[in-house]
Amino acid sequence: MALPPPLRTSVTPQELELIASEQLVEILPLITMEKTAFISGAYGPLRPPAKCRIPLWMAVNLKVKKKCHIIPPDWLNVEFLQERLSRETSYPEFSQMPFRFAEIAKAILDVAPDDIQNADKVRSLLKDLREARQAKSREGLAKLDHSELSLPNSCSMEINELRPFFIHAMGVLTQLSREGEDRAAAQP
Amino acid sequence: MVYLAPPHLASAARPSYGEAYSNILARHRRSPLTSASSVILLVAPDVDALCAARMLAELLSQDDVMHRIIPVSGIAELEAMKDELATYNELHTLILINMGAILDLPSPTWFGEFSTKLTVHVIDSNRPQNLGSLFGGGDIGDRIVIWDDGEAENMEEERKAWEALEAGIQYIRRSPHFDKSPQYEPEPDSDEDSFSSSEDEMPFDSQDDVSESSRKRKLPIDSAHSRAKRQKVNERHPSPNQMSRDQRLHYQSVVDKHYTRGSWYSQSASATIFILATVLERADRDLLWLAILGLTYQYTSSRISRDTYEKFHSVYHDEVIRLNPLPPSTKTTADAITALSPDDHSIRATEEFRFTLFRHWTLYDAMFHSSYVAGKLGIWKERGRKRLTGLLAKMGFSIPQTQQPYTHMDLDLKHQLRVKLDAIAPEYGLVELTYPSFIRCFGYRAPPLSAADAVEAISALLDVAGGVRIEVEVEGARHGGEWFGSGRVWKTGRPDVNDSAKVPPGENGGAHGDGGEDGLVAEERTEVPWWMKNFWAAYDALTDIVSLRDALSLSMSLHRAIIRQGTTIIDKQDIRTMRSHRVVVLSQGPDLALFAHPGVLSRLAYWLIDALRDKLPGTKFTHGKKSLPFILACLNESTSTYIVVGVMGALEFGDVRKNEFGLAFINAKDRCNARSSHNSFNTSVLEVDREDLKMFLEALCEVGEGY
Repeated sequence: MALPPPLRTSVTPQELELIASEQLVEILPLITMEKTAFISGAYGPLRPPAKCRIPLWMAVNLKVKKKCHIIPPDWLNVEFLQERLSRETSYPEFSQMPFRFAEIAKAILDVAPDDIQNADKVRSLLKDLREARQAKSREGLAKLDHSELSLPNSCSMEINELRPFFIHAMGVLTQLSREGEDRAAAQP
Repeated sequence: MVYLAPPHLASAARPSYGEAYSNILARHRRSPLTSASSVILLVAPDVDALCAARMLAELLSQDDVMHRIIPVSGIAELEAMKDELATYNELHTLILINMGAILDLPSPTWFGEFSTKLTVHVIDSNRPQNLGSLFGGGDIGDRIVIWDDGEAENMEEERKAWEALEAGIQYIRRSPHFDKSPQYEPEPDSDEDSFSSSEDEMPFDSQDDVSESSRKRKLPIDSAHSRAKRQKVNERHPSPNQMSRDQRLHYQSVVDKHYTRGSWYSQSASATIFILATVLERADRDLLWLAILGLTYQYTSSRISRDTYEKFHSVYHDEVIRLNPLPPSTKTTADAITALSPDDHSIRATEEFRFTLFRHWTLYDAMFHSSYVAGKLGIWKERGRKRLTGLLAKMGFSIPQTQQPYTHMDLDLKHQLRVKLDAIAPEYGLVELTYPSFIRCFGYRAPPLSAADAVEAISALLDVAGGVRIEVEVEGARHGGEWFGSGRVWKTGRPDVNDSAKVPPGENGGAHGDGGEDGLVAEERTEVPWWMKNFWAAYDALTDIVSLRDALSLSMSLHRAIIRQGTTIIDKQDIRTMRSHRVVVLSQGPDLALFAHPGVLSRLAYWLIDALRDKLPGTKFTHGKKSLPFILACLNESTSTYIVVGVMGALEFGDVRKNEFGLAFINAKDRCNARSSHNSFNTSVLEVDREDLKMFLEALCEVGEGY
């Protein structure tokens, strides 16, 4: 995060990662487990070698204990990211990316780089995507005015990054514009 | 009792490692009082135990079993720990790693009186093992499980002898004539601590003082098993009164022979855990790497012979190939190994030279500091050093080249090193310069590290990471490099430890030592002993490549100190030859504080043996083959004692001898009543009071002759 601490009064990235971990992901289990009830729902049964969909937090936990293999979601591979990156760099709008792609990618790359093809290439592509999108966010901020700001297709981490600054800036701009209107109204 | 046969000897009726492990799991899950203290690992402070503990901890945490790891430095410590453990009532599994094989665990002095739900597993590479723990049965005996490597299968004779003697004692004890039949008193379990000195407990036998301890031992009278066994034995020998004196003597001698042969090492603890992991089908690269480290440690510290090493090496080699499939084009010569990708953590097989840490030093230094080369070329004399330079010149390495750190050497020279060495070294008598070993890549974070180097770094951390001031060379400081001045004082690099200025007075300053606490609080909090800090530093370094590489420089200083001291000893001809062994006494010198640690002292001893192997004739110590027995004593000024270390060198490089000093030390101590104590699990390390050293050494000479 590039924002100075006073402006960082928003959700931290780790919390975002936690929220993102609720999403379901496909795994190849190596152990057997019955359909078990957890707080968020019932998952399973796990019957190797059949694939199963479980939440990301559970998949990460099993992977750390070497009890499953995580199958990366269909957007987490070199071709898809390459294609999105070229789109990102050629058009001025944000390209369509899964809303929580940054958190999910990080979680999976941390524990299961061996389950992803060309993990280091994927990492560098993700980094490039982030930088391209960051440049667009900066440009978008320049167009900030007191009534609205729309950045279609930005993702959860990026929104979170902007939020404190955005709120503060909007407030100041609203104040300025209100003063401007008052002054305009005060003059007959 | 039960000794566990290794999996290849197991069958449906004979449980093995896998079953024992699943029992641990089952207990953990079943017991309602499960907490973090339900499964406790007691770990001895050596590299092999460290690796085994790490592997086991990994397996346990993958199975969600909460456990605790407690380092234990010696037998005295183990006793204190045992008393504390008796108070934990949620404890149901105790695992001893690299300790306890020689102790009579079913006896009341150890774990005989613990609650029935406690199981004690012993995974130990020390031999000989205690016969009572191996073969004893009954209520208590069944709860002591020794993880054996197949050797106990061949101990039928000892088993018979032990059982017969055991039955004899039990029978006698029930007879009313017990007190009046002195000739039946010698006890079968010759490891019972029978010394009246209260300081220490010797696990070895003494032929004299027996009666008190036999009386002290509790009979598992109520156990039907032992009664049945007694009856069964009584059938074989109608009654011990009728067991002929010859037979009894024969059995006694069999048992004694088992214990008095000397001490040696067998399958490493980490190999045992690796076999367990393979049985559970959970072997992976990290576990394999740790097992390799355990094996390499045993080999480089002269605990096992080359043949044993090669046997295990081939097993690991197959595992490496299985777990690390490499594209066929990768080269595997030692100098050409690089990480293929940032996630590459694979292990490769290579040939390793016998030069210590040779990839991190200049070539000249590496050869200079290796004990094998030192011995053959006579490094301690100027003449020897010239021969070394000559050897290097003959191989085509110019002097500037050999003074470059290895990483800066010319590439073609590196490639040719092996070939040239094979060609030219035999002229100087250096034949066995390489041995097969492994190397591991760490992605792009650090250059690949070989197993031997990793073992060096970890044992350096274990020995001296804290508690003693040692200077470490900064790279580039030589020959008036950028940083003038010799180096910096070693600090275990952990930025969160508050190196506050308040060092408690009287402590060994320097290093990160014991001065990390605030002066006020230190009085309330118990100071963590230096060896425990070292233990945890080494434990962390097992998986953290950054701290491991840092520790390499520590290891290098250690080697330098050893060489300095070793050359002084040889130069001053400080080695006194006694009738059956050789003695060196260190009472002054710049590195005295450093050598007051038994680990470092043993390394010096092995260096001396390697260096002088060809110059000295072998002698027979007590019985057995010819060998080079060496005793080193170093003065510890702060405690006014001498640390005495006895090592048994073999006549050939790559061979090992059983270490008979354990028994000899005890006998000598007995004879002369020296104030002394055993502080570690190694029975050949002893601490003797300053004034008593001379007496002790003289008594030791008599021991040598007495056999």
